[in-house]
Formats: sequence, C-alpha cells, structure tokens
Amino acid sequence: MSKMKHGFFLLTIVIAGMAMSNSYHLQLLTFIGINTLLALGLNMLMGYAGQISLGHAAFYGLGAYTSAVLSATMNWSPWLALFAAIVLTTLVAFLVALPMLKLSGYYLGMGTLGFGMIVFILIRQWSTVTGGDSGLVGIPALSLGPLSLASGKAYFYLVWAVVLMCFVICERVVDSRVGRALRAIHDGEHVAAAMGIDTSRLKVGVFVLSAVFAALAGFLYAHLVSFISPNSFDFLVSVRIVTMVVIGGMASIWGSLLGASLLTLLPEWLHVFTDYEMVVYGLILMTIMIFLPQGLTRGLLDLYEQSRTIYRRPATSQEPTANR
Amino acid sequence: MNSSEPITGTPQPLLRVKSVGKSFGGIQALCNVTFEVAPETIHAVIGPNGAGKTTLFNVITGAYEPEDGQIVYENREIQGKKVHEVVAQGIARTFQNVELFGSMTVLENVLVGRHVRMHCGFLGAIGRWPRVRNEEREARDYAWELLEFVGLEKMAHHRSADLPFGWQRFLEIARALATQPRLLLLDEPASGLNAVETQQLGDLLLQIRSRGITLLLVEHDMDLTMGISDRIVVLHQGRRLAEGTPREIQCNDAVICAYLGSDEDMRGLS
Ligand SMILES: Nc1ncnc2c1ncn2[C@@H]1O[C@H](COP(=O)(O)OP(=O)(O)OP(=O)(O)O)[C@@H](O)[C@H]1O
Ligand SMILES: [Mg+2]
Repeated sequence: MSKMKHGFFLLTIVIAGMAMSNSYHLQLLTFIGINTLLALGLNMLMGYAGQISLGHAAFYGLGAYTSAVLSATMNWSPWLALFAAIVLTTLVAFLVALPMLKLSGYYLGMGTLGFGMIVFILIRQWSTVTGGDSGLVGIPALSLGPLSLASGKAYFYLVWAVVLMCFVICERVVDSRVGRALRAIHDGEHVAAAMGIDTSRLKVGVFVLSAVFAALAGFLYAHLVSFISPNSFDFLVSVRIVTMVVIGGMASIWGSLLGASLLTLLPEWLHVFTDYEMVVYGLILMTIMIFLPQGLTRGLLDLYEQSRTIYRRPATSQEPTANR
Repeated sequence: MNSSEPITGTPQPLLRVKSVGKSFGGIQALCNVTFEVAPETIHAVIGPNGAGKTTLFNVITGAYEPEDGQIVYENREIQGKKVHEVVAQGIARTFQNVELFGSMTVLENVLVGRHVRMHCGFLGAIGRWPRVRNEEREARDYAWELLEFVGLEKMAHHRSADLPFGWQRFLEIARALATQPRLLLLDEPASGLNAVETQQLGDLLLQIRSRGITLLLVEHDMDLTMGISDRIVVLHQGRRLAEGTPREIQCNDAVICAYLGSDEDMRGLS
C-alpha cells in the first residue's frame, strides 16, 4: 500500500521533471519541495506531538547560514557543510528544547517566538560572518561527484528526492513505538506518562527531528539561490510554516505537501498578496481553525464522506451499554 | 482487626504504604496512611467520596510526591520517582474517568501500553532494522493476546473513543496490563458498567490475580468489592479507618458509621 503510494509519487516527480521545460515553473516546484520539508518537520512537532513552534525559521536559517558560511567563505565541500549544519542544528535544538518543552500552550509559543527572534537578530548583527543585512553571496552550487546539480532540472530532482526520503522517514516514525507515543502525548500528556512514556525526552526528540528537517530545507534553499539574506528567515517565515501545517492538516504527512504548495503558489499568482502577506495568513489561519479545524485535507475528505453517507442507509450503530 | 502489623505467615509484602501524608492547600487529602499489600492478592481501598482514594493512587504512581512517609515497592522506596519510572518498575494503573488515547485505535492504545517494554527510538523507527521489526511484531502479538483476554479483539481497529463506555473500561485494563505490571491499580473500574459487565469485570480481575498480578482496587460497588477482595482498607477523610478481610470490614462499627455519615450507597455493607 505505502510502497504503491511512494511509487506513484516517484512517477509523478519524474513525469513532472520531464514535462517541465519552463525554468520558472521548475524553480517554483523546487520551492514547493523545500517548503514541504519545512512543513513536514513542523507537522511532526505540531501535528503529531501537539507542541507549537513559532520560531522554526530559526532552524531554517541555521541550516542555510551554517552551510553557506562554511562553503562560501571557508571553501568547505557543501556536503561536509551540510553535515556540520545538521550537527549544529541538532545541538542547538537540543539545548533550546530542554528548558522550552517544559512549557506548554501559549508559553511554548512565546518561548519559541523569542528564540526565533534571537537567531534572526544574531544573523543580522553578526555581519562579519553572515554579511548582515546585505546578505551572503557566492554560495556554491551542488554537485554529486562528477554530476553537476547546478541546472534547474537536476536541482528539482534532488529536492524532490529528499522530500520523498523525508516522507518515508516521517511515515516510519509515525508508525512506530515513537510515533504512537507522540500521538499519545498529544491526546493526553499525563496519561501518556502514566503508561510509562518519558514525555519530556520524546518531546525533545521530536523537536530536534523537526529542526533538522528545517535545517535540511535551509541547506537546499541556500545552494539553490546562491544568495541569502536575513529576511528569508524572519518571523513571517515561521508563521508561514505554521500556516502550511494548519492548511494541510495537523498530523497529515501528505497534507504538508498541499499546505506547502498552496502557500508557495498563492503569492506567485496573486501579486497583491505580497503587501498583505501577514494579513492573508492570519485570515487563512482563522478561517481554517473555525471551519476546518482538521485542515483542508481532512476537512475535504470528511465533507466527501458525509456527502456519500447521506445517500446511504444509516448503519445500525452499536449502542453504548452503559451511560457515563 | 484494626491491626497494622502484617498477617503472620504471608510472604514479603509487594507494596508498603508507610505513614503517607499529602495535602492540597488546606485540605489534608491523606494523613498518616499505612498499610501493606501482599503479593498476588486483591486488595481493596474503599471510603466515601473525597476520602483520598484517588490521591493515594496518585501518590503511589508518582503523580504526586507525598509530604510525609514512604512508598516501598519490592523493598525499594519509590516516592518522588517520575511517573514513567514507576511504570517501568512494574506498577500500572487505570483512571477513575476513563482516559484513553481517543484519536488512536483500540490496538494502538494497547500498543502504547507496551511502550515501556520496548526499546526502539527515533533512529530505530527510521532504520527499521530486524531487531526493531521483531520487537514490533512481538508487541503486536502481545497486544492481540491482551485484547482477546479482555474480549475486545473484534474492535481492534476501531477508534477507542468510538467504543461503548463499558468497553472503554476493559480497554483501559488491557492497556495497563500491556505494561506487564506486577501491581495493577484500578480506580473504580466498575463505575458506569451495567450488571452484566460488572460480573464480567469481577471474573476478569480474578483471572488477572491468578496470572500472578497483585491488584489494588478502589471501588464503590460493594457487592463486587466484598466478593473478590482478599483484604480491604477503609479510608475516611484521608485517614485509615479500618483494615481487614471483607467479613471483618462488613461488621466494623466505625466503617458503618462513616458510611452512614455520608450519603454513600450502603449496598452490601450491612
Ligand atoms: N489536585 C487536587 N487539588 C486540590 N485538591 C485535591 C486535588 N486532588 C484531590 N483533592 C482533594 O483531596 C480530597 C481527596 O480527593 P480524592 O480525589 O483523592 O478522593 P476520592 O476518595 O478518590 O473520592 P471519589 O470517591 O469521589 O473519587 C478531596 O477533598 C479533594 O477535593
Ligand atoms: Mg477518586
């Protein structure tokens, strides 16, 4: 079942890659892939474990800047730089998560928000290394041995191969001891603990996982555009990632793809959008929360199923044998 | 019969509650509570509403730290340990108001109970190497067996929140059993059950005891409690009022008085 889904996914990527000749479209699809990674990571944290992060752009930036600085300024191989970026992100996420995940609800939101701002300010102010507001140029293109990934098409395949890999990773995590424990924490943290789940440890774990996904996305972004500046990693970006998850649906791996696609394409299609981006995200978030709290994917599926069952005879349901 | 010394001739107690005290603000929920639970017995804790029964469970399982006294389990002091560590040591519980993982299936709920006896972490989940797969397969077999044991195997793939209430109680027991406890704490497992289900529950609890698991049972249904318990401790306003066999408790004046003073159901107590 899931093999078939992945095969179909792979086929779609290959066909899209072959059919696509317009480099603008290819780049758009590549961006969708990168945003999908961001949404996927945050969805593991928000959708499955039920913990919010309003500072995920920080890890996105951490991945992008670590790799960019190491490869552009210090001439490291980008792949080595990627490795360093992942190690650093893991470390930072771990240190941030330890005190932070003791918080919950609003406080966790505020805490991660603050963390995102600190990283953003660091990137802007530490100009000797990061280039500050004027950004960092000359980030090398990627290559795999003799194979150059500089072309739009090659990069498109690379990004989507990574997305597919991360899909598989998420599906495996969700369908495991760890994934069940995460969902249990979401359903009731103290009950989860009473079943023997070390809740703080798992929350730290999933926070690190989602941060690493964001760093990976940052790496892919930096080497795609070859120039990065702090604005690509500000608060608005964190909100955008949250919006992608909410639109696609919490705890829906494939929903992340939908959320990322919509939020990548909408600003391209509606240019007015760019001036009022924050307002539009706010509106989207509110509308979805009120009308489709399960997200667009689940919401549409539910609507579909409702419309089907209306025409069917009501099934004889088992009556509860006792009242509460 | 108000005796606190252990019955002679019985083996080492599995659990010892030693002069435990716990208060919430001004309310003394538990005060100097002492009793022992012998292995492989059903030990009931009864008392009127607000007597401190649930608080006692929360103290034993590590959800609350007692202000005074010790909880000794298998000769080790466990008060102050984290909740999940206590489970790993072999103490499992159910809740007074059924607390299942509502978004998960019946089978998944039991599998969560199995968590503490498994090892797979994030890397194992991603890698799915043979050890992880074996572990997962064993856990599923174990969970299926438990579902059959409580009679819920046909509902395995239903969302737990969709089960009739009575079945949710049985599922909660199966989930607790999945942690492979030596001591199982049940907080009013019969409340909300109909007569037939209560009968089934009684049989189930006896079967659990015969599997070598010790039960600590908080229950208001006196027919059930008197019928299956080996020993009973009575709490009243946070204090131990009496302890003894069901027969002894039934004719204890202090107990009858305490129950008369409250608007509790007196069924089976006279
Ligand atoms: N978390 C808490 N905060 C404040 N007071 C509490 C808390 N938990 C329990 N209490 C108080 O402690 C006392 C004992 O409560 P507990 O829930 O242990 O009683 P119980 O014997 O389980 O009663 P019931 O039969 O109604 O379940 C009550 O007065 C209750 O109000
Ligand atoms: Mg209670």
